[in-house]
Amino acid sequence: MSQKILVVDDDDALREMVGLVLSGAGYNPVFAADGISAVDVFTSQNPDLVLLDIMLPGQSGIEVCGQIRSKSGVPIIMLTARGDTEDVVLGLEAGADDYVVKPHNGAELLARVKARLRPLADDAAMVQIGSLVLDPQTFEVKRGEASLSLTPLEFKLLHTLAAKPQQVFSREMLLEQVWGYQYKADTRLVNVHVQRLRSKIEVDAENPRIVMTVRGHGYRAGTETS
Amino acid sequence: MIAFMRRSLTARTVLATLVLSGFALIALGGFLSYSLANSFYQSRLNQVLNETERAVGLVQGTVAAASLTDETALQTLINSVVPSLEISGGSGNRQVALLRSPGQPQLQLFQSPISRDLDLSSIPGELRQSVRQSPQILTYTSISLVRDGSQVPGITVGAPITFPLAGDFELYLVFDLTAEQQSLQLVQNALAVGGIVLLIIIALLSYFVTRQIVKPVEKAALAAEAISDGKLDERLPERGDDVIALLAKSFNKMASNLQGQIQQLDSLSRMQRRFVSDVSHELRTPMTTIKLAGEVIFGNREKLDPALSRSAELMQNQILRFERLLADLLEISRYDAGAVTPEFEYQDINAVVGAAIASIEPLANSMQTEIRVILPPKAVSAEFDAKRIERLLRNLLSNAVEHGEGRAIVVEVGQNSQAVAVCVSDSGVGMTRQQLERVFDRFWRADPARQRSVGGTGLGLAISKEDAILHRGWLQVWSKPKRGTSFRLTLPRRADSVIANSPLALPPRSVEI
Repeated sequence: MSQKILVVDDDDALREMVGLVLSGAGYNPVFAADGISAVDVFTSQNPDLVLLDIMLPGQSGIEVCGQIRSKSGVPIIMLTARGDTEDVVLGLEAGADDYVVKPHNGAELLARVKARLRPLADDAAMVQIGSLVLDPQTFEVKRGEASLSLTPLEFKLLHTLAAKPQQVFSREMLLEQVWGYQYKADTRLVNVHVQRLRSKIEVDAENPRIVMTVRGHGYRAGTETS
Repeated sequence: MIAFMRRSLTARTVLATLVLSGFALIALGGFLSYSLANSFYQSRLNQVLNETERAVGLVQGTVAAASLTDETALQTLINSVVPSLEISGGSGNRQVALLRSPGQPQLQLFQSPISRDLDLSSIPGELRQSVRQSPQILTYTSISLVRDGSQVPGITVGAPITFPLAGDFELYLVFDLTAEQQSLQLVQNALAVGGIVLLIIIALLSYFVTRQIVKPVEKAALAAEAISDGKLDERLPERGDDVIALLAKSFNKMASNLQGQIQQLDSLSRMQRRFVSDVSHELRTPMTTIKLAGEVIFGNREKLDPALSRSAELMQNQILRFERLLADLLEISRYDAGAVTPEFEYQDINAVVGAAIASIEPLANSMQTEIRVILPPKAVSAEFDAKRIERLLRNLLSNAVEHGEGRAIVVEVGQNSQAVAVCVSDSGVGMTRQQLERVFDRFWRADPARQRSVGGTGLGLAISKEDAILHRGWLQVWSKPKRGTSFRLTLPRRADSVIANSPLALPPRSVEI
């Protein structure tokens, strides 16, 4: 069964064109033209991934992103007309997994979509990090009996770090292993997602014990089991 | 002190006024005290002469009235007359001497009667001589006397007197001018005190008057300073109808006009920048659609007939070119709007040079151009935005490949304590002086007729220049027709420091001039 992708963009021509590109690659696109209907279509269609334009009539893509994120961990890729810092960071903070700057080409878009829909490797094992237990089969993260809700991307980020607790991961390495970027990309993706992840899993996000910063290098899994 | 004088107009004015009025006061005081002294002296002199005349008359009358028989009688008479002269005067102290003229037979018993405390040096020899030579009139001279250990001016008046039997005598009266001297001193003191008080008043007056004038001028200067610092709302208070108020009014009018002009220019340039930015943004969405559509057509071109297939190719190439142009326009509009925030990181520039060369290699290979690299053995670290510097170097390299005529391109990296530098040199067509001047201009091309193999947007070097400025660095160019062109980028090691010189020479040593 082909995966369903919700395309939210107010420009009719672009929406249709993106739909053609996605159908050409074997996906099943569904559409929404504004921020209000985007949430309705999301609820009724339950897509596997959302392509979300930031500048939308009704409500902005950033608000839509927050609303979808509040009920689902589905991958969200923002389409932005600006590479400008503010919009990108706001979108990422609202929960988007990745972003593509217009004008993008089809291959780039498909690569991003594919990377976000790629499941974890089959041989991914249960790992423990600090007081957390990660189950890659169910995407479940448990602290004792309590279950924590992570998006697939956050899970993948945490799992990547936890699988090799002694290794320091540079931002570039994480971009490659978690996001699937083959070339240099925006390291803010990593920074923002680490912040989001910490706010969900750390007991004290200001004083992280599970995802540690290695100054000047990147991140590694915390070794303490407290 | 001198620096203060140089700075303060008020201090200079007050000082000049003080000096000039000081001179005037000294001249006036000098003249006053001179004429006062003169008139004091004259009136005293007249009095003294009158008294002497009376004294001479008294002595002669007394002598004539007495019937003198011998020397002893004369002596007695004289001895009685002279002391009476000492007190009969109306004007204070005077001393008397009756001296016998020299050159006569000696009188045996005669003793010249002289006031007790009279110093005979008060009667100079010259006076005695002129007294003897002019028997009809009174002769006088100014002398200085010692009174209570201090010198005071005095007058000695002399007259010849002839006594029967005894012959020629000279009567001298010595007057002192202590009283006059004291009055003069008093007047002089009063003048000096008055002068000093007057000077103080003049100083204060000139200070206040100057403040009246200087203060508004100072305020105007401060306001002008503030305006030139960008505080365009600065104005002067307008009070009254005088010339100062006129200055304030004119100044304010000028400031308002200036402010209006600047704001107009500002809003115009903001509108223009906004327009470029908006257009670029608005173009992005249709651009994306066109690009995606073009790709789909281009990707399926083998299904089309040859003419359509070629059209798809042409369209695809031009779409890519259009896209680059759009990206550059957006970038430069971001610079124009001051909306660029670099991400500085302390890193090795050799790595960035390597990445730029790697990305340009396919193009260089297609032009059969060799790229020679001269790198220092160790890492060359500086604080810079790797993305921007790599883009800048890519741009320099693609320019070098395009204009290098297939000859080798030399990339050199250098460093000193404050700066790092990268020099990209080709040995191609080069540029004339006129072309060099415009090389960083937007949309400027050295040779419009030249075939473009690389297809730059015409904004590359303009953006590169902005990138260099953003890093507080230099992007400089050397070129000579048919010799080649060298671009040298110099960056400070720390983003907040300033560079004084570049570690690499321009043109580089590898280039033969």
